[in-house]
Amino acid sequence: MSANALEVRGATKTYGGFTALAGVDLTVAPGEVRALIGPNGAGKSTLIDVISGRGANISAEVRLFGTDISRASPAQRRLAGMSRSFQRTSIFPGLPVRQQLLLAAHRMGEGDVDELLGEFNLAAVADIAAGLISYGDQRRLDLALALVGRPRVLLLDEPAAGLSFEESKHLAEHLRHLAARWSVTVLLVEHDMDVVFAIADRITVLQLGRVLAEGDPAEIRANPDVIKAYLGSAA
Amino acid sequence: MEADRTGGGAVVTVPGLLLFAGFALVGPAAAFLVPSTLIQSLLTQATIYAIFALGVGILIRQNGMVSFGHAAFFGLPAYVIGAVLPLGLMPPELIIIGGLAATALMAFLVGLVIVRVHGIAFGMLTLAIGQAVYEAATRLRGLTGGHDGLSLDLPRFLFGLPLKTFQQPGSMLIVTWLVLALMLAVAFLFAKSRYGLLSEAIRDNEERVRFLGYRTLVPRALTFALSALVTAAGGVLFALYNAFVSPETVHWTASGSALIMAILGGASAPWGPVAGAFTYFFLKEAVGSFTTHWLSIIGVSLIVVTVVFPAGLVGLFDRLRPGNRSQGAANVG
Amino acid sequence: MAIQVLNGLVYGALLFALASGLALMFGLRRIVNFAHGALYMLGAYVGYTASLQFGFWAGLAVAGLVLAALGVVLDKAVFRPLQHRDPLTTLLVTFGLALIAEDLVLSVWGNDTMSFAEPQQLAHTLSLFETTFPIYRLAIVGFGAAVAIGLVLWLRFSRVGLFVRAASHDPVIAAVQGVDTDRVSALVVAVSAALAGMSGVVAAPLMSLAPSMGADILVDSFIVVVVGGLGSLGGAFITAMLLGQINVLGVVFMPELTSLLPFLLMIGILLWKPTGLAGARL
Repeated sequence: MSANALEVRGATKTYGGFTALAGVDLTVAPGEVRALIGPNGAGKSTLIDVISGRGANISAEVRLFGTDISRASPAQRRLAGMSRSFQRTSIFPGLPVRQQLLLAAHRMGEGDVDELLGEFNLAAVADIAAGLISYGDQRRLDLALALVGRPRVLLLDEPAAGLSFEESKHLAEHLRHLAARWSVTVLLVEHDMDVVFAIADRITVLQLGRVLAEGDPAEIRANPDVIKAYLGSAA
Repeated sequence: MEADRTGGGAVVTVPGLLLFAGFALVGPAAAFLVPSTLIQSLLTQATIYAIFALGVGILIRQNGMVSFGHAAFFGLPAYVIGAVLPLGLMPPELIIIGGLAATALMAFLVGLVIVRVHGIAFGMLTLAIGQAVYEAATRLRGLTGGHDGLSLDLPRFLFGLPLKTFQQPGSMLIVTWLVLALMLAVAFLFAKSRYGLLSEAIRDNEERVRFLGYRTLVPRALTFALSALVTAAGGVLFALYNAFVSPETVHWTASGSALIMAILGGASAPWGPVAGAFTYFFLKEAVGSFTTHWLSIIGVSLIVVTVVFPAGLVGLFDRLRPGNRSQGAANVG
Repeated sequence: MAIQVLNGLVYGALLFALASGLALMFGLRRIVNFAHGALYMLGAYVGYTASLQFGFWAGLAVAGLVLAALGVVLDKAVFRPLQHRDPLTTLLVTFGLALIAEDLVLSVWGNDTMSFAEPQQLAHTLSLFETTFPIYRLAIVGFGAAVAIGLVLWLRFSRVGLFVRAASHDPVIAAVQGVDTDRVSALVVAVSAALAGMSGVVAAPLMSLAPSMGADILVDSFIVVVVGGLGSLGGAFITAMLLGQINVLGVVFMPELTSLLPFLLMIGILLWKPTGLAGARL
């Protein structure tokens, strides 16, 4: 069997008695850009957390290019080639931008981060503590940290959160090209439908912790369940 | 100095080395220039506590954690020396080094447990551990002499130097100052090392560090052990200088004083706690002569510094320095 | 042996009365009050002075009232202005306050250890398990039980209690429920301070009065709240009882190591559950 980039079986998360994610299955092919959409509370970010091994009371069988990483810690998953970004910017405010990228690069066996600084337009702020740079720069730093060492599978939790429409569109296009160039498989949560339909190869729709539909953008646009549950109300 | 780590340039620079050499010479110079034995003695004590506070400061700067129990690591090597020396099992120098190593190892093992607990709860645990050592020092009378303390029966020569080198204020000032310079260099090099960078990243955002592929427990425990080791070096000097150790040495008030020194000086630069220690000692000396309310004065100072100048003397210095650029090194408080 | 268990209950009850305030304050404000031991000590001294004039019971009441007032001041002057700062700031500020309080006590009452007589009504012994046991000690167990029951009833059946419980789960959610947070917080800190002060009075006949009394028991009550799970009353109760027993049973079985046992217990439990017995949050 040719290995999928990412295979998730039975992704589950509970809070107290409440089930936020009820056994979601997901398969992403190598090189694909997959978008996760759904109304608020559908479990999109939770699914990213479960796949990346973040938080308590989670369970899922996760395979990365055929290798079972279900029991791996977040650190081990990163070393195995799975990386992620965060919806709430997760950087190191006290460290200069270049320093934190170098720290991440060192773990991946790389010594140079100039290319990343260039790709994410951070060269001008490279020597400034990350707590002092603009919000847009911080968002791109968060992404750059995730992309150090060119992970095989990249999980993006609302990479454009808090950015303007123009900025997020531009960022999405850029991520799409970068993923293609560096052969990174992408699973991303994104609110903006225009962005999603522009860059995703396939789309998975979540609702109330379950998969509602899955298909390419045209199929999703035409799916009556999706229109009823989500697109209709959003439009 | 801040720019050294960026771009992977040299950590040790010529101006840096000159500064270090200049600093190292201050102590010996003071020993020759200050004729008063009393002031020499005060300077020696302040230097010993500066090393103590430097250890506390390393923990704050690199781990973002506040310890209320570091006196345990200050007193432990003294007790080890006092307890093992009479047995005549090994050369005294080896016992001293062994005492340091044992303290660092204990701190590492304890660290593996307590650094899992975050923020203020960590501070409470360090207090409890410090008091455990204090209790042990008072109760294990056979080993520690209980409340009466333990006189150290030191040999006549140590590290090739006559014992009085370590017990006369003038010569001991030189010894303690050189050790302080060495410890400052260690703290500085650690802060500039990749491991120091990792520990600061963990301080800022531990979760993200794990998602970058690093394990975080062992690095945090190691930083804790390094901080304990520096404090223990101060403790060894204390033991040699006084040839005596008692439960007072490991009491939580001693930990509290060292913490106040570190906060007073500001922990965002290695020299902060050192400056804090000297300020503390001279303030105490100056104030102590005309009032008995030292506790209130230090309490008020602590409150004012934490609320109004959280960056301590380091922050004050940065503000006064022309053309300063905020480096954003997060400070607690 | 049974007597030892009883003695353990006495210390456990005292510890709980003191630690419950720490746990409540943490639950509501996410702060650790390093001055809690100082409040306990101040309560003992204030109660002592009042009792010289008006007797033990008046001393107990005065200590409770004075400390409650002090608690309100503490909340308004320290905790509220600092509520958006790093929790370490509050910790260090209360540490400074503890030093000032100790200086105050030294200046007013001196450094000598003083003895504080128990009330005459309770100055008797009882024949128990073929030996005698001071009634006053039983009264302390009663005091601890009354504190525990009172707190449970208060938290369970009052509007304030509902809010406090909600806040200890999630301060942000609780804050939007339309309750006057500042008033609730002042009340909780006042109750905690009063409990600390009254515990000081109650403990004084047993352990005598000294400026260091606050710091000594503070360490044990910190262990109680951390091991119990920060902010959890139930966890604090269980740990206080456990610590009480360990203290006395240790004296019987391994006298040299008794004082180390609480720390070993703490390390053991934290290895097993890093957030404490009842703690999942934080």
